Amino acid sequence: MEKTIKKSAILMVLPLILFFVFLTIFPFLYMLFMSFHHYNLLEWKPPYFIGLENYINVFKDQGVKSSLSFTITLVLVALPIEILLGTFIAIFIQNLIGEKFVRSVLLIPMMVPAVVAGVMWKMLFNVEYGPVNYFLSLLNIDKIPWLGSSFYSKVAVIIMDIWQWTPFIFLVLYAGIQTIPQDLIEAGKVDGANRWMILRHIEFPMLKPLFWILIILRLVDILKLFDIVYMTTFGGPGYATHSISFYIYKVSVSFGWDVGYGSALSVLLLVVITILTTILIRTMRLWELLEL
Amino acid sequence: MLRKIIISFLKWILLIIILFFFLFPVYWLVTTAFKHSQDWFSWPPVLIPRSLTLENFTGQARGFEGSLSSSIENIVPYLKNSLIIALFTSLFCTIISASAAYSIARFKTGGRRLASWIVSIRMLPPISTVLPIYILFRNLKLLDTWWAVILMHLVFTIPFSTWVLISFFNGIPKELDEAAYIDGASIWKTFLYLILPLSAPGIAAMATLAFIMSWGEFLIALILTSSPRSQTLPIFLGRYITGFRIAWGPLAAAGLVTMIPVIVFSFTMQRYLLKGLTFGAVKY
Repeated sequence: MEKTIKKSAILMVLPLILFFVFLTIFPFLYMLFMSFHHYNLLEWKPPYFIGLENYINVFKDQGVKSSLSFTITLVLVALPIEILLGTFIAIFIQNLIGEKFVRSVLLIPMMVPAVVAGVMWKMLFNVEYGPVNYFLSLLNIDKIPWLGSSFYSKVAVIIMDIWQWTPFIFLVLYAGIQTIPQDLIEAGKVDGANRWMILRHIEFPMLKPLFWILIILRLVDILKLFDIVYMTTFGGPGYATHSISFYIYKVSVSFGWDVGYGSALSVLLLVVITILTTILIRTMRLWELLEL
Repeated sequence: MLRKIIISFLKWILLIIILFFFLFPVYWLVTTAFKHSQDWFSWPPVLIPRSLTLENFTGQARGFEGSLSSSIENIVPYLKNSLIIALFTSLFCTIISASAAYSIARFKTGGRRLASWIVSIRMLPPISTVLPIYILFRNLKLLDTWWAVILMHLVFTIPFSTWVLISFFNGIPKELDEAAYIDGASIWKTFLYLILPLSAPGIAAMATLAFIMSWGEFLIALILTSSPRSQTLPIFLGRYITGFRIAWGPLAAAGLVTMIPVIVFSFTMQRYLLKGLTFGAVKY
């Protein structure tokens, strides 16, 4: 009996394991192999071994520098704003009339496919006819070339990222606040704590692990950022809004077809993601969540 | 008393500003989809359109200057591809992840290591797997087919649903399974006739989420497809962003079509989706 159960249990995970070995581990090994080769799909010749050259080139590449600096900008500017705004809304909305309504409505931005979000914002940010510039003109601010200048296009991507992901932060924190035992807060109130003290000494400490999780999840997502950039700025002007994913796409598909170099970049990206994911799994104590 | 009124007034203003920021883009897309072409380019922008039209969907008004397309009448093949790809992704994702999740939840198959591996696949940036897959699929003659896209969409939907379903299954008392075994049911029977019905809402939510994720996915479809035979709606949208003047109306109309199923699903399944979206980070 025990044995047949064990057999069936393994049989049940087998499709998943086979699937991922075939579609992730095998491609990863292939990519690792490619990253040591010169392989350009446009050249119609077989790949040849060039050792570490691709990896050395990464450090000389202006595109890598720009996309890295843009990613860091996103992390340093968009992420804190998202977290602050999300936290604020999560607290602000508690016990407000229309709480449920706001919660469901705020689900929309994160559910809208990023491509569609890109379309929306491309219309909104239009220099000549866009509503954003119209609202600014009501405040006597001149038309801003949102997607045309290297500074404002960065701001635009940041705004779009905030629009799409603040709701996510809000939802997680909102759910987190709901799970804080009410009697703890009641006890605090009995002891004469005001709203701010309860927030600072009871709610925040309990939400702390959630903040870490959110930061890491968002870091991973920023490294994946692609659709919105593709649809609105297409990485431009120049290299201003190249996200890492967009740059790899550009090198290895849309402009270069330099699969060897693209693979080297992807391998490096994977190293970063793996480190982040490991930290995530540890801080979240994922196995405990799953009772493993 | 006055203080209270002022505070609640300020709160309302703040709430309106927040909602405005998050909802106006959606409002703009929806209204533009029904605007006449003369309202696409006007200053001040037409915030509240006086009259609406279906031209952007059906394309009676021809000859919009500077753009190849003035309607989305040729959207049908893309819609079909998107539907088929999303439906099959959702179906396969549910089958593979539900059975794996059951095994992991009940028998700790693979333990922590397997579970962590599954999560790390969820974190994988699509751009980093799709390159080798492109070459592999090219050799297998799979490029530009539904299968290519479905397989790759499964890569990022399965980890997610497996993960969330594990906690759904954990919520069902183990004693139930054990009683079933004692009555002589096999694991498979217990899973099919006991666990699946009991966790139906969770499974439906994960199937929905897989559908939504596949439906909106862009990068993978962009690289693996090249013709209307298999291109999905997001790729169709991407194509509109060409020409020296973008036809806002049809573009918005196509965006609306791409968005509607997602919005409908997410409102109906909201309660269960939240658990999936927050990635089990918080126990709802």
